[in-house]
Amino acid sequence: MWSLGLAKSGLDGFGCISDIFSLYMASLSAQADYAAFEERRKRTVYLDNLSPQVTEPVVRTALNQFGNVKSVQFIPNYIEPRNIPQCALVEMENTRQAEAVLSEISQFPFMISGMPRPVRARPAQVGMFGDKPNIPGRTIRCCWLDENNPNFKIAQKTKALIWKNAAESAFLQKQVLQEEEKLARQQDETLKANYKKFELIDSITLNDKTGPADKLAKHYDLKIAHD
Amino acid sequence: MVEADGVENLEFEWGKKRGVGGKKKDVQFYETFTYDGVEYSLYDSVYLYKEGEPDPYVGKIIKIWENSDKTKKVKILWFFRPCEIQNFLGNEDSAENELFLASGEGVGLANVNPLEAISGKCNVVCTSKDSRNPQPSDEELQAADFIFCRAFDVGNHRILDKIEEKVAGIEVKFIFNRIDLQKTNVVLKLDSDKKGASGNAIASYETGVPSQQTPTIEHTNLKTTGISIDNLGKDNTGSNSSLVKQKSSLREKPTSTVGVESDEMAKSNDRMENDFNDGTKSGLIVKENTELKASLVEQKSLLRKQPASSIGTEVKISKTNNRQENVSTDKTTLRFEDDSIMVGKRVDIEKKVKNAKDFGEMEDRPSKRAKFDGFVKVDDKNKKSPQILSTDLDGNDAKALATITALEDKSRLKLAKDTQVAEKDPFKKVKPDDKTKFSNGKLPKASPGRALDEDKKIDHQIMEVTRRPDTDRSRWFKGLPWEDRMKTANEQGTLVLLQNLDPTYTSAEVEDIVWHGFKESCTAKMIQQTSISSPHSGQALVIFKTREAAEIAVRKLDEGCLLLSNGRPLVGSKTTCYPEKKPSFFGHLVIDKLKHQMQREMKEAVSTSHCSQPNTIEYEMAMEWCLLQERSDFAWKKLYEQQGEVLRKLHSSLKFK
Repeated sequence: MWSLGLAKSGLDGFGCISDIFSLYMASLSAQADYAAFEERRKRTVYLDNLSPQVTEPVVRTALNQFGNVKSVQFIPNYIEPRNIPQCALVEMENTRQAEAVLSEISQFPFMISGMPRPVRARPAQVGMFGDKPNIPGRTIRCCWLDENNPNFKIAQKTKALIWKNAAESAFLQKQVLQEEEKLARQQDETLKANYKKFELIDSITLNDKTGPADKLAKHYDLKIAHD
Repeated sequence: MVEADGVENLEFEWGKKRGVGGKKKDVQFYETFTYDGVEYSLYDSVYLYKEGEPDPYVGKIIKIWENSDKTKKVKILWFFRPCEIQNFLGNEDSAENELFLASGEGVGLANVNPLEAISGKCNVVCTSKDSRNPQPSDEELQAADFIFCRAFDVGNHRILDKIEEKVAGIEVKFIFNRIDLQKTNVVLKLDSDKKGASGNAIASYETGVPSQQTPTIEHTNLKTTGISIDNLGKDNTGSNSSLVKQKSSLREKPTSTVGVESDEMAKSNDRMENDFNDGTKSGLIVKENTELKASLVEQKSLLRKQPASSIGTEVKISKTNNRQENVSTDKTTLRFEDDSIMVGKRVDIEKKVKNAKDFGEMEDRPSKRAKFDGFVKVDDKNKKSPQILSTDLDGNDAKALATITALEDKSRLKLAKDTQVAEKDPFKKVKPDDKTKFSNGKLPKASPGRALDEDKKIDHQIMEVTRRPDTDRSRWFKGLPWEDRMKTANEQGTLVLLQNLDPTYTSAEVEDIVWHGFKESCTAKMIQQTSISSPHSGQALVIFKTREAAEIAVRKLDEGCLLLSNGRPLVGSKTTCYPEKKPSFFGHLVIDKLKHQMQREMKEAVSTSHCSQPNTIEYEMAMEWCLLQERSDFAWKKLYEQQGEVLRKLHSSLKFK
């Protein structure tokens, strides 16, 4: 609101001098803003392969063992299919802690809220931030191309290419999801089979001395030790 | 520019004191002050001008004080224009000139501004049906710049149909229309709004047009002006024969109008103008309205007559011309007039006096110039668009205003013509001068960026994307969550997906690009990238104001080609969000028998993370996942590399001049 109050005093006697000055100040502050953002980016870790059940406090506690988590922001998914894993930006206290998170998580499979699919950590990129500042000094230009412009056709081709690329990405996305599902199902089966085996083994040596192992031991007059 | 000129010699004077405050009792509160020749008092509605904003803000003065360091401050309770709170209006309709009073608590309610930020009075009429609110008459409603009857709660972001008992600590009776001041208000309004507060124009003007509009109220006013004109007449009798004639016509008319019905007044108005015409050969600007309509065909006469008839200000200006001749003869009349017309434009009058001293009676061209500068300035500051002016007048003088819309074109025509005409006649010179300023003053209002851009667009030149001029001021408040807005936009079909943006663009920059490319304001959001998003094409969701705008934008992007810097043509498409459904996630396995137990544990604990250790089944499975992740990573990388390659090739074939 203060800026409004200032800005509303449109009757400035100093005219252009103050304009130039304020422009200069604005560019300075824009640069400072961007530098601050760069700092923030460096101490931020990008996490993906997160289960949709993961919430902010879960991520916070999970990563607090590597340092102090300053903030957790989930990257919203507006246009991708719903079933892609969650991603989040986790801001640590400093760059060193962020590096620790990166190296720990890449060394050991790190599980958050479930197994055995590990989460993955990467350095955060500029485009991942929803609140990134303008790049100072950059001016954006745009123009409508005339149909006779030689660039027009190329641009049209580019547009078509963008669509094609998007379709390719979507296809790959689908493939990846299928692969993941396949692996998950496979692992699920393996796990179930393994579990069944262990259960079977467990049931042989029941503690109440009525299991098949005890019966056999009795039959052959053997002694087995229960731990 | 014009305004800066004015600032230097803007007159300021404190009025009634109210009390002292502050820690050291060094803050002096006031009830009234005069600024730039306009008297403001507590609870007046005013325009506040901000550079770069197409429309001035409107607010109510709720506190006036001077700090110990001599800075003058006013606390302003804001009115919102519907467009400023559009996001919260929902389906509620609002009249074009409706405002919403800020109320509740929070940002945007009221704030302190330098007194100098005030750029003029604004006539805001409260149409609340509250019994305590003195109901405005039809005339008042017609003359109102804005009306309000609802409030906007800045804390809860809701529209309130009733105005609360206290707003920003101000009792509601000060917010409703004033009873005692209503009468004078009308006069004030006529002065400040219609005339652009140019006091010197008032006398002659009011005798004519406004008297027709609100006959009941105007009688007193008429009298005073009548007197002043009488006086003028007396003082000027010796000056010039043509002037005398002119004056006598002036004098005649007001006296006659006082007692006569409005219909006849209209006639007398015509007559007055005729008289003007007869009396002064030089006063040809004021050709009568009726005749003009018929003879629009003739170019020359058209040049002169149009302005006089088509818009009130024009008439007024020409009258001012005539009067100025009178004025320059005698200063005492000026004084008199100043007193009789309560809100005189003192600055201007003083200027005039000075001019009168400096120049002879006949050579008042320069003085006129000076005055018109002043006039234009006031007009500009008042931010009164000519349209409003003319519609106001429309009620009185329907005949005169058939050509409002074409006014601008005509003025240009006239200008062009006038440059060719030898300027022997001072009036001719003065008029186009004024016109240029007038239209200049108006154009930037219409939308400064737009006019420029349109030209650019036609030329297919590169435009630099700068901040769009009317950035939504509703960002004072945290708007509705983006998700909600996106959902409604999705339902209404106003949601558009833009692709092939630079991924480092910010949402605001996208909004600006849309503004420059389509002349549409919108809300945009860059889609945050993930590890699997394409590094070549940044995406953004854009919510347009209307479905049509969204469709037009998509079509234009499809058929045409909006090339952004670094050679990216923008791609747009209507999009639909994926329906909300429970997201599925593969790869977290649970053993059915233990499921129940697991879930309970999950609920209880937030700490459900661990590093998996070798020699466990979990570890082996995790390794399988890592392998898969690496594989898909590689696939993404390859895909994007490939795409990048093709794009680069295509891009390099772009030709830049």
